[in-house]
Amino acid sequence: MTPEFSRRDFIDTTGTAIAAASVAPLMAMVPAAAATDEIPKRQFGRHPDKISVLGLGGHHLGDAATVGEATNIVHEAIDAGVTFFDNAWEYNDHRSEEWLGAGLRGGYRDKVFLMTKVCTHGRDGSLGLQMLEESLKRLGTDHLDLWQIHAITYDNDPELAYRPGGIIEAMAQAKRQGKVRYLGFTGHKDPRLHLEMLQRGFAFDSVQMPINPFDAQFRSFQTHVVPEALKRGMAVLGMKPFSGQGNPFHNAEITATPRDFLRYAMSVPGVTTTITGMESLAVLRQNLAIARGFTPMNSDEMNALQAAVAGSAGDGHMEIYKTSIAFDNVVTREVHGMPLEGAHP
Amino acid sequence: MAIPTRQLGSSGVFVSAIGVGGSSLGDLGSNSEAQRIVHEAVDAGITFFDNAWEYHDGMSEERLGRALVGRRDKVFLMTKVCTHGRNKQTGMAMLEDSLRRLQTDHLDLWQIHECIYDNDPALHFAPDGVIEAVDAAKKQGKVRFVGFTGHKDPAIHLDMLVHDYPFDTVQMPLNPFDANYRSFQHNVLPEARKRGISVIGMKSMGGGGEAIKAGVITPQEALRYAMSLPVLTTVSGMDSYDVFKQNLAVAQAFTPLSAPEMTALETRLKGYAGDGRFELYKSTKVYDAAVGRRMHKFPPSTELPA
Repeated sequence: MTPEFSRRDFIDTTGTAIAAASVAPLMAMVPAAAATDEIPKRQFGRHPDKISVLGLGGHHLGDAATVGEATNIVHEAIDAGVTFFDNAWEYNDHRSEEWLGAGLRGGYRDKVFLMTKVCTHGRDGSLGLQMLEESLKRLGTDHLDLWQIHAITYDNDPELAYRPGGIIEAMAQAKRQGKVRYLGFTGHKDPRLHLEMLQRGFAFDSVQMPINPFDAQFRSFQTHVVPEALKRGMAVLGMKPFSGQGNPFHNAEITATPRDFLRYAMSVPGVTTTITGMESLAVLRQNLAIARGFTPMNSDEMNALQAAVAGSAGDGHMEIYKTSIAFDNVVTREVHGMPLEGAHP
Repeated sequence: MAIPTRQLGSSGVFVSAIGVGGSSLGDLGSNSEAQRIVHEAVDAGITFFDNAWEYHDGMSEERLGRALVGRRDKVFLMTKVCTHGRNKQTGMAMLEDSLRRLQTDHLDLWQIHECIYDNDPALHFAPDGVIEAVDAAKKQGKVRFVGFTGHKDPAIHLDMLVHDYPFDTVQMPLNPFDANYRSFQHNVLPEARKRGISVIGMKSMGGGGEAIKAGVITPQEALRYAMSLPVLTTVSGMDSYDVFKQNLAVAQAFTPLSAPEMTALETRLKGYAGDGRFELYKSTKVYDAAVGRRMHKFPPSTELPA
């Protein structure tokens, strides 16, 4: 029953992990100077690495028209200064990792901070290590910069992740083997689950969560999780700046623009990068235009945007990843015995 | 054996420990099948009848109304108001619809249906909200007792209770899975009892009997567990004559499970409880009805099934 990870994998509240982390989060909160039109970078939590404030979402990369288009998106993003690349073992039945791998050939791999996610969804850690080998192969690399547990979604996911023989043991092992540099977890459902993952004590390097003006007012990750992550010197990875699939802008009740929403997410104090899907060069260029020379909104602007959408936030109809299982991937649904209607790979 | 009865608060009014669910009445193949179940239920001593303004667009109330002609005075008749955040006048109009369909001049219990969205308590208690309709209906003598219902989250029920409104009843899912997952039994039931509010259990079999179909619990175990909790009654959906007979038999033979027996059942099922797979009304949109979705601007079930 003894877990294979060691004490030093856990944050010791009196020890060095916290001490070393004490300055980094504050620095991360200082807006990056942007005198040029470069895409700003921010420090990756308590570690010295710097990553771009805009991250390229892996799911949508697999929705590009062709692998050629996906490669063009990856190259143009890297050439513009995007360094953070997101993916997951399960996206689009692995096409997303394969297409990112194609784009990273020819020396591009070394220019990026490469993340993918492991999709055991509560199953054994040994399965996770197999998934890691598959991800490395598809991505055409011998190591990941960041490996995250995908989709902490169901109430028992934290317990399952931490169980003996579970994914966290496997992650610690992969890190010792040098196959991954940093470890984290993700989820779009409920801040309480993120907090439980933190409170159980593993010294994660990053945590990924929805960050947008609706979230600020409904089961809020921004309010409840960001401060806890910063206390621990973790990188905060925002996602769903448009609350998933851009649906607010098809709705007459929202007058704010995609630009407002992306700028908001990138401006939330403590957020390291904002991951967003870009399935075409047109969308990439739209986002690059916002990220180049980015300066954060001030708090008055952020409060005004929150107020403008307040009437649409309170029942979660703009955040259906929290209030339904529409955004829960098919694999996690299967493992948790949930209905498969409307699931996407 | 006679079906046990229990007292609503300290009102002197007694109801049967099992109730006939109104939504399922509308699922039955014919009016005559519904009528047969209602008549046999009343004859067997079931007095508690559940319904809602929105079930099957009014057809569930109409069926129950027709079946209760000549029997209205033998039952404790409940239906629910479905403003889902709209104003008092909408609620009062729904009350008139319900009374007409149920062919009666008063309800024994009128409950606010489906408090399942985080902002529902604020909307219900807002000026000109449904609480004002509930007040008016009581004053007019059209309803004797009032309450609210919901299947989603104990926190929302507690938000309703914190307003200190003199509810007589509160309805919630109660089953052995609930005991280990976002638990109404542990978080709401004691709070309601402390306030002298009678608790009505529902979803004793997980809503659509998902766990029964999966073979992890029998209907007899599930219903007996729910009826053994300190509740006024357990509303049970009976979508066929066979299911009615099966549940009637449980109620007629009912003796409460002991505390160790209840704990043993919870423990046996604990491995299935933690992700909400057999309580889809909490963990998904599957059980969230059309009118509430529309009022809260959620997509309909065709677009957002779960």
